[in-house]
Amino acid sequence: MPPRRQDASENGLARGTFLLLLAPALILLFLSLYPFLSGLYTSLTDQKLYAAGGTRFVGFGNFVRLAGTPLFWTALGNTLTYTALVVAIQLPLGLAFALLLDIPGRLQSFFRSVLVLPLLIPPVVAGLMWKTMMQPQQGVLNYLLSLLGIDPQPWLANPATAMISVVLIDTWLFTPLAAIILLAGLQSISVELTEAARVDGASPWQIVRRIKLPLLGPYVLLVALFRVSDALKSLEIIYATTRGGPLNATRTLHVMAYEEAYRWSNLGRAMAIVFVLWALCYAISGTLLALWQRQEARRYAR
Amino acid sequence: MPLNAGAPRPNLFAAGLFAATLAASTALAPLPAAAEVNWRAAEGSTINLLLISHPFVDSLKPLLPEFTEKTGIKVTFEELAEQPGFEKLLADLSSKTGSYDVFMTSPLNNWQYATGGWLEPLDDYIADTKLTAADYDLADFIPGVLASGRWTLEPLKGVGEGKLWALPINFESYQLAYRPSLMKKLGLEVPKTYADLLAMADKLKTDGPNGPVNGIITRFDHYWDLPYLTFGTMLQSYGVEMLDADGKLQVCSPASIQATEDFITLIKKASPPDAGAFTWDQAMQGFASGQYVMSFNEANLFAPVYEDPKQSSISDDVGYAPTPLGPDGKRAAAAWIWSLSMNSAAKNKTAAWLFLEWVTSKDISVKTALAGNMNPVRTSVWDDPKVTALMESWGETPGQYVAAAKTEAEVAALRFPPHPELTRMLDRWAEAIQQSYFGQGDVKTNLCAAQDDIQAMIAP
Repeated sequence: MPPRRQDASENGLARGTFLLLLAPALILLFLSLYPFLSGLYTSLTDQKLYAAGGTRFVGFGNFVRLAGTPLFWTALGNTLTYTALVVAIQLPLGLAFALLLDIPGRLQSFFRSVLVLPLLIPPVVAGLMWKTMMQPQQGVLNYLLSLLGIDPQPWLANPATAMISVVLIDTWLFTPLAAIILLAGLQSISVELTEAARVDGASPWQIVRRIKLPLLGPYVLLVALFRVSDALKSLEIIYATTRGGPLNATRTLHVMAYEEAYRWSNLGRAMAIVFVLWALCYAISGTLLALWQRQEARRYAR
Repeated sequence: MPLNAGAPRPNLFAAGLFAATLAASTALAPLPAAAEVNWRAAEGSTINLLLISHPFVDSLKPLLPEFTEKTGIKVTFEELAEQPGFEKLLADLSSKTGSYDVFMTSPLNNWQYATGGWLEPLDDYIADTKLTAADYDLADFIPGVLASGRWTLEPLKGVGEGKLWALPINFESYQLAYRPSLMKKLGLEVPKTYADLLAMADKLKTDGPNGPVNGIITRFDHYWDLPYLTFGTMLQSYGVEMLDADGKLQVCSPASIQATEDFITLIKKASPPDAGAFTWDQAMQGFASGQYVMSFNEANLFAPVYEDPKQSSISDDVGYAPTPLGPDGKRAAAAWIWSLSMNSAAKNKTAAWLFLEWVTSKDISVKTALAGNMNPVRTSVWDDPKVTALMESWGETPGQYVAAAKTEAEVAALRFPPHPELTRMLDRWAEAIQQSYFGQGDVKTNLCAAQDDIQAMIAP
């Protein structure tokens, strides 16, 4: 696109608008930057909620101590496992749902509204609901398994199965989000393209494989971005079901930070964990965003 | 530095609970008329409470209009489960916003809250004859239970001395609860010792009308209440206290290792596979729903729930016994004391005090006890004919619950050093027990690693 020349009146308007928007922008900047910086400062102190006035600056002491805490590495591993599982399961599943929902049919609108129902349930409530269903003794899930002749599972009660169980709940809750975004992407693909392919004799699978999926790229990245950043920070489902247990099987960095602050009153150490999580989140979503921008650039370069 | 050297251990209940009954009956003699208390001193104000879900709260709610009528003070409250409740309380107290004027707490929590300066000392209010009725009678409280609310603010010592930070509203100790019909069917006697219990662990299972009935249930998650209360009672009966007389940590002493190994064996043999995640409410509901032969070392104040046909399917088939004896034939027990404290940032302290006074008065204590607030912390309530009649009816035979509760109360004490971060230390201890249960390392290694970490928390 050739650069557009701006005339004087347009420029003047921009300047007025600029000044007008400056104040709210500064306020917003302050509101987001101040907590961030104060949190960063806290992570460099030994601040405890109950020790009034006794806060000392400890430099990177909290971070050094974290690196020497085996639980931190367990929690870091758990955070990454949780996130990886969430994305690896929910993206293909969401895509499958989206493709199915894109097929015109009489029940299409019914299925579309049913699909979003889990999204209306707060994660804590979903967690508690699933916790009840996953109870090894009286839970309905093991009852259903028994009808199929499958042995009862310990679900959330055993370190070996707890992680996959919470990921399952997350999947139930958030796959619809993935499906909705991907469905929107599918519907933005112009009908002429698929019709033309069909007329040329492409099979439905070829249409999906060769036309829809490549055009869906930005949407897939968007879903990945949403799910990665949410999963890294996920707290509600885990806290409502296992509170990080059994043992430390589902103790993610966020759960660890929460307990450090609100069970043990240690604000300094909690903030240090939060900043590790922030850095992780920033790095991963930054990578995804860079991928997205490259994709966009390529698309408009055509 | 020795941690607790020379500090006398506050023996909270020993020779306290029922010996005190005598002393208290003399204290009940009418006192000379003092200045009238003006119950309407804070008329028109509102106080906000933070209540943690508990039978006490259920017993209190219907009585609140009575308080408002008497004092003209409006009472609002938030009722939350234990975990979110304490977290919300911590957020409020530490920010000193004073959203809650009065809140439910315990000595363990107060060791941190008092250190933070978030609690209002109550001694001056009690001494003020314009605010505290002459018949309030502080001496009527079980001495050890009341003393648990005092602390000098010195880490690792001074419980029972210093200022009064809380008033008790009930206390729990621990007991065995069992199903007489099932024990009979299995041909088993109620165990007297941990050795007896371990010997029968394999046999404790049977079939019920709704499927298999498991052996025992007890709370078992990775939090402080495990070494502090239920398994704590077992540990203490094995002679283990967190600190010994010289102030040395006993987390991985031979007796502690033995107790932990026995506990894990017991759970593995007689509890279902998901036993490693049970919280206290699951333990209570599980036993009340008839799925277990025995409830092991659980809170004795669950008895009103077990006895209530509306909440329990075993109300006509439940018995109580004291917790088992340790290897040396000794019994010791933990204690949990629900208390009420006043926020030092409370907006209307007079109103808050009038509420505290009213709710812990003899009259209201009897009413809450009759509505399920167990166990009473006033001797006059233990002696109240209606309360006695109610408690006498609990158990396989009349008086069984009271007998077990008294046996336990005689050996119940807070055998832990006061410290603002005690919960963190106990959480670490509980983690070591869980690691061993889930087969991650042996008991000794896990407990000794926990002990090292706890030592670092005490003296960083």
